[in-house]
Amino acid sequence: MPGDSGHDITMVTCTAPVNIAVIKYWGKRDEDLILPINSSLSVTLHQDQLKSTTTVACSPRFKEDRIWLNGKEENINQPRLQSCLREIRRLVRKRHIDGNVSSSALSSHHKVHICSVNNFPTAAGLASSAAGYACLVYALARLLGAEGELSEVARQGSGSACRSMYGGFVQWRMGTQPDGTDSVAQQVEPESHWPELRVLILVVSAERKPVGSTAGMETSVGTSSLLKHRAESVVPQRMEEMVRAIQQKDFAAFGELTMKDSNQFHATCLDTYPPIFYLNDVSRRIISMVHRYNQHCGETRVAYTFDAGPNAVIYTLQQHVPEFVELLKYFFPTETNGEFLKGLPVSSVTLPEDLTKAIGMEPLPGGIGYIISTKVGNTALRVLNPVCVL
Amino acid sequence: MPGDSGHDITMVTCTAPVNIAVIKYWGKRDEDLILPINSSLSVTLHQDQLKSTTTVACSPRFKEDRIWLNGKEENINQPRLQSCLREIRRLVRKRHIDGNVSSSALSSHHKVHICSVNNFPTAAGLASSAAGYACLVYALARLLGAEGELSEVARQGSGSACRSMYGGFVQWRMGTQPDGTDSVAQQVEPESHWPELRVLILVVSAERKPVGSTAGMETSVGTSSLLKHRAESVVPQRMEEMVRAIQQKDFAAFGELTMKDSNQFHATCLDTYPPIFYLNDVSRRIISMVHRYNQHCGETRVAYTFDAGPNAVIYTLQQHVPEFVELLKYFFPTETNGEFLKGLPVSSVTLPEDLTKAIGMEPLPGGIGYIISTKVGPGPQVQEDPSLHLLGPGGMLKVDA
Repeated sequence: MPGDSGHDITMVTCTAPVNIAVIKYWGKRDEDLILPINSSLSVTLHQDQLKSTTTVACSPRFKEDRIWLNGKEENINQPRLQSCLREIRRLVRKRHIDGNVSSSALSSHHKVHICSVNNFPTAAGLASSAAGYACLVYALARLLGAEGELSEVARQGSGSACRSMYGGFVQWRMGTQPDGTDSVAQQVEPESHWPELRVLILVVSAERKPVGSTAGMETSVGTSSLLKHRAESVVPQRMEEMVRAIQQKDFAAFGELTMKDSNQFHATCLDTYPPIFYLNDVSRRIISMVHRYNQHCGETRVAYTFDAGPNAVIYTLQQHVPEFVELLKYFFPTETNGEFLKGLPVSSVTLPEDLTKAIGMEPLPGGIGYIISTKVGNTALRVLNPVCVL
Repeated sequence: MPGDSGHDITMVTCTAPVNIAVIKYWGKRDEDLILPINSSLSVTLHQDQLKSTTTVACSPRFKEDRIWLNGKEENINQPRLQSCLREIRRLVRKRHIDGNVSSSALSSHHKVHICSVNNFPTAAGLASSAAGYACLVYALARLLGAEGELSEVARQGSGSACRSMYGGFVQWRMGTQPDGTDSVAQQVEPESHWPELRVLILVVSAERKPVGSTAGMETSVGTSSLLKHRAESVVPQRMEEMVRAIQQKDFAAFGELTMKDSNQFHATCLDTYPPIFYLNDVSRRIISMVHRYNQHCGETRVAYTFDAGPNAVIYTLQQHVPEFVELLKYFFPTETNGEFLKGLPVSSVTLPEDLTKAIGMEPLPGGIGYIISTKVGPGPQVQEDPSLHLLGPGGMLKVDA
């Protein structure tokens, strides 16, 4: 149980990871419960590079629930926040009723104060809501003593947040129940399963604010017949193939499926009316570069995936990271080379001349803002050290 | 019958139009016969602005078939050219056998000389093969006296060429027969049906050579499950809706279907592996501009469609052309304003201030190279004026052709 600070206030700080889908979630069959039209699968990223940190405090003296995000107080009545608070409290009461409570100090009636920060800029479009809601749910659960299917609660804050409740490789099974009790996340393999897998996040400057996911996927569901076909006929088989590829650590299969699913997701956005564009000319160049690189190497060595924004996420194996990063520096040169590469260190290598010739593209200075080098990570940690952000 | 030049050589010159699909063809079920996986529908453009001109000459003295395209001799043995020549000659022999021949001078055994030019640059990516093959087939048929389903012959040169065999609004019914005899074009409505309809071709500069259609669609068929679903489940219904929209001159329905089908075609290209990109940032800006303009007007007033290349084709009604062209000049300003607008004249108008604000985009100088303003037009025509022949009296390339 969390330590009592002695002032009639209890406090817990947790961190939670970002996840990047390789089989994409796009489209709901239930807007309120956030139930998807297809299953999805993601890779949890390491919290050393990307994480959300949340402190939650509970006290009988608090008059109301309050929340601060990245230093700014936000509206606690936002429906999805309310969903998470309500569901956590329901689980707390359920635990009391089931008679499993060991401490009497905590109650689902007490108000909570929540403070959350990300160690990466929100403007970078790095799927911060998944990490944020997962962190919130996990912290509240630890604070208030909730037990049960936490990914189901996180899902109601933000769909993809349920996948951040686990480390490694995680699937969000779409479920069939109308009440969403079977629409939950499950770990496919832990983060220790494929230690050679690496992730590069290419943060590109956004020319204009892209269409938000919630509105975007609703329009897609309403107007794209290709999306319906994708959800019903393509994704189920891809999920099976992806699980198998991960279990077998088959990078070629993993990579090809990842690229195909990213492209198909964006294809359904284009098939939306009015059409939604998340890929821009820089995205297309990165895609082109990856295909030419793989062709030159004679194997699927690198894979890309793009979410509902301009950033690219590159998957590869650790031995290929130095050469591919060098290629990125070559084709997307930047003046701020010192800050171009963040995260895990990457060794410098010399590019073979035939390689840059084989790629055969014009360099695009400034096309990429910076790169975050990271790897597969674990799930929410509970930080015991009472250094808090409130 | 074509006039005899008195030198044992007969010659015919024809022109044929470009067509722009509003329900797209992308993917074959038979590569040799060029049979598509779905039906398609197009608008034939007016030859005053865009056309292919072909002169064909036939003589017992010619030793071999020869062809010149845009002034350069090309390889006559190219398979699709051979398909057209072979099929036309088969139809000529069939006519002889059926006993309907009135002239004895012409024969399917004689060799032909062919010369073809377009009045628009090939580099502009303006669907020149459709006009070219339609013209070739039409001219050969007139020259040699072939009768029968000419769109079936043109189809074997280039799929979309069959749609250029008619004016107005044309559908290419996919057919079901393995031999392709029912995969032919049909006119939906003639060019006189919807006289208010206008077409603007926005020629943009291509940064790099796009993936060719033939290879591209083959890869799409082989890798995109979305394409299969499109062909089987989406296009049949869209064809019906499009035919109805055209018959009823319902621009809102016509425009919305056109935009949706263009986007879905490009979606299947993106769903191809490796993915094919024909739309670029300029294309996306044009798309964005159209949707914001329509939203501001409260109706579907303008529609876009994009083929396998960067050029945009805009459909609208004649009363909206001046304002939309002015908008294009505003958001895609160019230095060469004098040559920016070609084709049918367009009146200048002043843009309302709230309109440019409502569009709310940054202008992109040089985004569009130039605009061709045109309209719906007729099918292939014979040109009677002998000065238009591209071949000289001896059947060789005219020096100034």
